[in-house]
Amino acid sequence: MEEQITVMRFTRSQRVQHFLLLISFIILIITGLALKYHDSWLGKLIINLEGGIIARGLFHRFAAVLLIITAFYHFLYITFTRYGHDEFLSVLPEWKDFKDAFQSVKYALGLSSEHPQVDKYAPQDKFQYWAVVAGSLVMIATGLILWYQNQAMIILPKWIIDITQVVHGYQGVIIAVVILLWHLYIVHLSPKRFPMSRIWIDGKISLEELKAEHPLEYERRYKSISNEEK
Amino acid sequence: MNVDIKASQMKKSSVFLIFFCFFLFFCLSGGRAQEVASNRECQKCHSNPNLKKNLPDGKVISEYVDFELFYRSVHKKQACVYCHIDATNFPCKNLQKVNCQRCHYKGNLAGAPDINKYKEYSESVHGRALALGDVKAPMCQDCHGSHYIFDKADTLSRTNKENIPQTCGICHLNIYTVYEASVHGEALRKEHILAAPSCIDCHGEHDIKEHTDPKSSVFLTRVSATCAKCHANMELIKKYNIPVEPVETYKESFHGVAIKFGATTVANCTSCHGSHAIFKMDDPRSSIYKDNIPKTCGKCHPGASQNFARGRIHVNPAKKEAGIIYYVSRFFKYLTMTVMLSLIIYIILDLRKKIIVRRKGEE
Repeated sequence: MEEQITVMRFTRSQRVQHFLLLISFIILIITGLALKYHDSWLGKLIINLEGGIIARGLFHRFAAVLLIITAFYHFLYITFTRYGHDEFLSVLPEWKDFKDAFQSVKYALGLSSEHPQVDKYAPQDKFQYWAVVAGSLVMIATGLILWYQNQAMIILPKWIIDITQVVHGYQGVIIAVVILLWHLYIVHLSPKRFPMSRIWIDGKISLEELKAEHPLEYERRYKSISNEEK
Repeated sequence: MNVDIKASQMKKSSVFLIFFCFFLFFCLSGGRAQEVASNRECQKCHSNPNLKKNLPDGKVISEYVDFELFYRSVHKKQACVYCHIDATNFPCKNLQKVNCQRCHYKGNLAGAPDINKYKEYSESVHGRALALGDVKAPMCQDCHGSHYIFDKADTLSRTNKENIPQTCGICHLNIYTVYEASVHGEALRKEHILAAPSCIDCHGEHDIKEHTDPKSSVFLTRVSATCAKCHANMELIKKYNIPVEPVETYKESFHGVAIKFGATTVANCTSCHGSHAIFKMDDPRSSIYKDNIPKTCGKCHPGASQNFARGRIHVNPAKKEAGIIYYVSRFFKYLTMTVMLSLIIYIILDLRKKIIVRRKGEE
């Protein structure tokens, strides 16, 4: 196999955050969906494998604590580290993203032959990031209400708790759907990356791929280097 | 000689005739002459309402038998001594308790119905108490009666549905008074609704277990299924206008799901509604009356306030009556469907484009 020149895309801290998120999401989704679909054979099987309904709750809360720690760590990371803050600024949505997204759709439909020229984070990357942020915040907030419902019900009436339960359940399903259909498709099943993109382990991307997928970033940071090497 | 022969022949035939008459008498009476005579012997004393017996512990019990009533019971054709087998001498003293199993067993020749309940009874809370020597434990005759046993369809029967509460109440007096005032007790006693539960409909009959026994029909993980026998029965629900949703919504609630998977610290029907003291929710005596909700929920949820009563307890997010909960859940349902659909379209378009690009590259 040809030696590929690779460059860093995700730092170790980012990979650790991604890994913590991954672990907590997997546990939360498995234990959560098992409860939501407790009537199905799979739900029953999973709840029993987890050691019953009480143990299931403990696993779910353990993973929830992990998610909260990760979210807190991420908050400190984007607030207090120079690199983390720059990354955060580059993932903020801007007007260009909407134009790029529109261009992507046109490209996919064959209405245009031009792939949108994107920097480090394409519109779908940004959208996924913000979906994770919003989803996690909703899940953590509603989850804490359900976890501490005796305390919550000192302030909140019963019907709010009922809504919280509905939101927590459906939001969990939506997150699972997005991860299964979108994120896992991109990193596992997408023809170029099958069976798995290794980027989440080593954080590296080949210069070639960078040039194809993130042309603006390539131009901005590596064009001069690759020219020298040539 | 001739006369002699004739005389002896006549003697023979008259002897035969006498025997034949006895035979005929026996055949026709079927041996009942002896029974009736025997019962008559007993009746001489026991039809006296003042016949009493002093027990060693100072108690006085009546030994009077209402024979008129007895002759209407299912055992009307039986002789006293068939059951009181030790009543052989007069006066019959220190008779043992009657053993029903003497006749009621499978394949008995007396024609007594086979009552195949002894095993159930011996494993029940009553049977085990009896085996352990508890003198208060009820035997067959304590519930079914001794001399006055009737078919359970007969209103005279102690095991007739409307009489069951009194029968159990002989020993369980406190629970009986609570039950009689409850919605179930009133329905049965006042309105004569035979579909309303008496004691045995929830607790079982011969196989009654302690409520702490996991096999009991009122054990905390099983009592909800027992309530559901009526409260999820569409026929009864329609006939008596019983609210239909509670069972279904309970099953879907966290309490119901947790208990289904064996959790023992969550609420079942009786935790909130009570077991014997069940009242309608608009009855101030009810544990689920608005003002009593904080106390009822507070048994498990420390610090429960009126907030527990703000909103419905048995709420079904799929029904419009749930109000805002219904609309929120509707919104999320369609949102989930939209997300799924758009992602599937996204994947199809993306794959299609990538395949087209690759083919072009190969060309």
